[in-house]
Amino acid sequence: MGISLSRRRPNNHHHPQNPSSQLSSSYPTDQPSSSSSTPNYVFAANAPYSYSHPPQNSYPHPPAPPLPPQYYQYNTCGVGMNNRLNFYPPSYYYGSQNNNNNGWHGIRPPPMVSQTPVVPVPYVDHQMAKKIRNDVNVHKDTIKIEADEENMEGLLVSLTLDALVDGSITIIYFAKEGVDCSFTPLYPDARMLVRVPFQKGLGQKFRQPSGTGVDLGFFELDDLSKPSPGEDVFPLVILAEACLPLPLSDEQFDHPRPATSNAQITQAIIEKNSAGAFQAKVIKQILWVDGVRYELREIYGIGKSSETSFDDSDPGKECVICMSEPKDTAVLPCRHMCMCSECAKELRLQTNKCPICRQPIEELIEIRVNKVDQ
Amino acid sequence: MANSNLPRRIIKETQRLLSEPAPGISASPSEENMRYFNVMILGPSQSPYEGGVFKLELFLPEEYPMAAPKLGRICLDILKDKWSPALQIRTVLLSIQALLSAPNPDDPLSENIAKHWKANETEAVETAKEWTHLYASGE
Repeated sequence: MGISLSRRRPNNHHHPQNPSSQLSSSYPTDQPSSSSSTPNYVFAANAPYSYSHPPQNSYPHPPAPPLPPQYYQYNTCGVGMNNRLNFYPPSYYYGSQNNNNNGWHGIRPPPMVSQTPVVPVPYVDHQMAKKIRNDVNVHKDTIKIEADEENMEGLLVSLTLDALVDGSITIIYFAKEGVDCSFTPLYPDARMLVRVPFQKGLGQKFRQPSGTGVDLGFFELDDLSKPSPGEDVFPLVILAEACLPLPLSDEQFDHPRPATSNAQITQAIIEKNSAGAFQAKVIKQILWVDGVRYELREIYGIGKSSETSFDDSDPGKECVICMSEPKDTAVLPCRHMCMCSECAKELRLQTNKCPICRQPIEELIEIRVNKVDQ
Repeated sequence: MANSNLPRRIIKETQRLLSEPAPGISASPSEENMRYFNVMILGPSQSPYEGGVFKLELFLPEEYPMAAPKLGRICLDILKDKWSPALQIRTVLLSIQALLSAPNPDDPLSENIAKHWKANETEAVETAKEWTHLYASGE
């Protein structure tokens, strides 16, 4: 409803749409079911290229814990900013505007026509990323559904997380997202919702206690393997909350999430692999920080630039244009981090196409990865 | 003179081309003008051009990398409207090498040869082999 192909034309940006207000204010999220709500996106600074992240075969011994993640906030300036333009999706991608029911799921835009006459390069916003802090981070590639040795019917969720504070993990099967990041189990069965506290610590392994698992054989594979059409219900939702668990009651989940209760929410589907075992596949991650809901996105190429300090001889970290400065600017909506800010400014005077994928540039976002402002 | 104000990118690309050349490709800058490269591409094995050495001249215009390198008459989209500043001398030369492995008679430089190729590929491939031997055997 709020989105149409025509909204994506870059000529929306002929005029600066008061970019300063986009930068300074982060508007609280509306009710998710409202199609006019504006999603906020954040980009994970430590997101690696999908191919540079080998599967962790030796799973019970995860690699050395990474630094706690930093996120960069990006407030979209309107519904015209959507994320379905990804011509080169990674093996997973987060593809959804929040809860729109307009049947857009999976539709790709038409291919670019190369004969498009050259028009004056439209204005694009060039803005600075703002950091927000996330206290709890579930590594989305580590989420597994494992057999419970003591109760073969029950399946247990395990994962690796970084926590800067004590908190709790809540596992909900078929959870519906409501107002202000509240999640309610769709089926009123106690087993559909399990909450377990954790202590702070980086790279810690979490596993749902034995005996609390769910027999997924009870469900149709078809229901497990996709979200509801409006993407408000996901077969598996993992809430990682940065606070101690309050007494658990069903009522509590019907209430909006308090602004003070920061959380990271992982929404996943469940599939069967070739060996017939269930596996979770993360579709979306959401941050709830200081009362604002953000959808977490990856930026392609940022992992390389954030690993360590800039090394002049590493082609992965340098701006693809000058090959001299570290890259610090990402292109939106395609999310290719590939340029330094100077070259990005130069580029946008000459073309509106992303150097990596040639998709039209709508906005540029400068992300200073290595500058830590405490 | 022409070399005094060379952008860092061109220096880096040149260094990398010389220190880690792509297989079957050599590109060396001219001493008088570092924007001018002498290029040699070996005919890919299992192509009609196998055994041939194909010499090219490549020139980096002032606007490079915002504009594509200049490379004689080669019909390749990335040298025209599909140029991107993320491409490099190396990637351009690799694309040309790939074009030798898979000629594209639907987008030809020479209409006649493309017609021949489409009408009788076996014969056209024979001609390509002959000409490779005659004109590109590295003598």
